[in-house]
Amino acid sequence: MTGRVIVITSGKGGVGKTTTNANIGTALAKAGNKVVMIDTDLGLRNLDLLLGLENRIVYTIVDVVEKRCKLKQALVKDKKNPNLCLLAAAQTRDKTAVTEEQLKEICEQLQKDFDFILVDCPAGIEQGFQNAVAGASEAIVVTTPEMSAVRDADRIIGLLEAKEEIESYKLLINRVRPNLIKSNDMMSVEDVAEILSADLIGIIPEDTGIITSTNKGEPIVNDEDSLAGKAYRNVAHRIMGEEVPFLNLEEETSFMTKVKKFFSHLVGKEK
Amino acid sequence: MSENLLKEICNRVLSLFKQTEKEEENAKDVACNRLRVVLMQDRTNLTPELLQRMRKELVELLSKYVEMDKDALELNFDQEGDQMALMLSIPVIRAKDEKEIEEALKAEDEAKESDEDLESEADDDSEEEKTDDNSDEGSSDDEEEEKETENEEAKSEEVEITEETSEEPEQNHE
Repeated sequence: MTGRVIVITSGKGGVGKTTTNANIGTALAKAGNKVVMIDTDLGLRNLDLLLGLENRIVYTIVDVVEKRCKLKQALVKDKKNPNLCLLAAAQTRDKTAVTEEQLKEICEQLQKDFDFILVDCPAGIEQGFQNAVAGASEAIVVTTPEMSAVRDADRIIGLLEAKEEIESYKLLINRVRPNLIKSNDMMSVEDVAEILSADLIGIIPEDTGIITSTNKGEPIVNDEDSLAGKAYRNVAHRIMGEEVPFLNLEEETSFMTKVKKFFSHLVGKEK
Repeated sequence: MSENLLKEICNRVLSLFKQTEKEEENAKDVACNRLRVVLMQDRTNLTPELLQRMRKELVELLSKYVEMDKDALELNFDQEGDQMALMLSIPVIRAKDEKEIEEALKAEDEAKESDEDLESEADDDSEEEKTDDNSDEGSSDDEEEEKETENEEAKSEEVEITEETSEEPEQNHE
């Protein structure tokens, strides 16, 4: 087995890299894949929180690199899904504690046992980014329909294109607000994709459920009713090579659809 | 008749609204346009000053052939897939006649000739300078010294050290 190594990156911070990582990873595992997530944001780790695994971490990636434990010992299994693992970042060290070569080696080892290795990249374009990208052959660039995020994504795409190891990259547009797009107050998904001239792999609507799911430490893909969760599940299936049409967010979030859903929900319950 | 009139009035009123809508550019379009400009600067390393210069030079070049509305010139970069295109749009006021074009070209040729003379002289100069630099290292050190003396007052403590290192060429010159 040679697993696919996918780095999830954005350039700008706060656009939802880690949320995307947690959700795509969980969705891929739910679909039956063996998945490991690597948090490379040394000193600023958060992936453990989003997965609700913060209390289970014994060893981190730095312990692996400095040979205080074996790679397998450092993998933390998810609470619900045994197919899902996390290799946590060290919270007490900085970006220099792991090198590009070491990360590459870790990815190569994990490829033998997992279908997907998702690398959570720190914000920025410095060494942390270089490290995260080192072992990957695919990339997902996360952005939002905001100018600063798109600009930073453009920089990241430029850097990814210069890397020989990266065979392909796809764009994921997060925090899409159909109402604002409809009223021409926000750039549309099409605008962003055109400006960056990149292929889309996902469109995720802004969803207040993300906040509660983060607070609970449970990725929103586990919530069958959530629209963002559905969008993330679709991304996972696209990564697996299936052709899944993009959600029509304008329709899905319109008032009438909500009313219809509400009633069908009621009817469904009565049955 | 009255029906037609009513329609016309309706259309007029509607077109009024449309116009006002167009005048006020929406936030989405503003964002898109600003982003395009900024990304082109990021991707091409063209600063606003350079773009301005490019505009000016283009106007100069094209003015020889047609009379155009210089202020309405639009210079944009367009991205289609991996291909980047430079889009130039200028409203032409009128075509110049043959004479005017000939005159403009002639004037330019003359200007070019005199420019070339100057340039070739300048080239000779710069070459000489270069050979000077290679043969006599002292001249470049000389320049450095000038800078150092400029900074002398501000960094009086550091000067002592830099002076020591730059003593040799100074002596050579004397």
